[in-house]
Amino acid sequence: MAYIMLTLLIGMVLGVISVASNPSPYFAALGLVLVAGVGCVVLMGHGGSFLSLVLFLIYLGGMLVVFAYCAALAAEPYPEAWGEWSVLGSVLGYLLLVVGAGSWFWGGWYEGMWVPVDELIEFSVVAADSGGVALMYSLGGGLLVVSAWVLLLTLLVVLELTRGLARGALRAV
Amino acid sequence: MTPTHFTISSAFLLGMMGLAFHRTHLLSALLCLEAMMLALFIALSLWSLQLDATGCSTAPMLMLAFSACEASAGLALLVATARTHGTDHMQALNLLQC
Repeated sequence: MAYIMLTLLIGMVLGVISVASNPSPYFAALGLVLVAGVGCVVLMGHGGSFLSLVLFLIYLGGMLVVFAYCAALAAEPYPEAWGEWSVLGSVLGYLLLVVGAGSWFWGGWYEGMWVPVDELIEFSVVAADSGGVALMYSLGGGLLVVSAWVLLLTLLVVLELTRGLARGALRAV
Repeated sequence: MTPTHFTISSAFLLGMMGLAFHRTHLLSALLCLEAMMLALFIALSLWSLQLDATGCSTAPMLMLAFSACEASAGLALLVATARTHGTDHMQALNLLQC
């Protein structure tokens, strides 16, 4: 289990490096899908299956799909993948940085540190993270109402930004 | 610093560096911002899971909602840039010509 968690955490760092090295946005979105998927499995390994499901649905199914559609705006004839020297240089630089920073710490890491104390958290009557999220509807009801207003405000902001024609940031097309 | 803590910290910092050292596309910078938000979500969730503090589980949910708002605002700006400047290349945003 500790080796699985090791692989997942390394996968997460490699995925973020693949996004941060700024290839063409198509490939950066692919790297972000990898980070989200691996991060979900990390959360599941710590017992948070509900939060992992929420991440998958909202983040990958909602936000990244929108990013994928917007990637059509960044279309170019020769998209740069991680084979180009400009991107590969960034990848190697970030890898060196992470390994260098990790070498500062990994002297004190032992096998038991990769997983939480009780690995056998699959058997539970009330899942901890679902029960915690339910608080958002009971004790945290006020914050939920505020968040709903924030979301409505964001919708109006986006509609105003993309208005065009009369006022707004877009020219009349 | 435990390995998990190191991983999520380095994920956040790498995303921030990718945002700072952006190259051509505005969309790449927005994707690095999303990577930072993802690292923050995983960090908050792991915080509540590792401390067995179930009450902290609402924080990642609300953070995800607000990061969706931020992503939509950023994408609206990207669309506006592409409509006025033709591309989303950062070099096209050169009104301030010093």
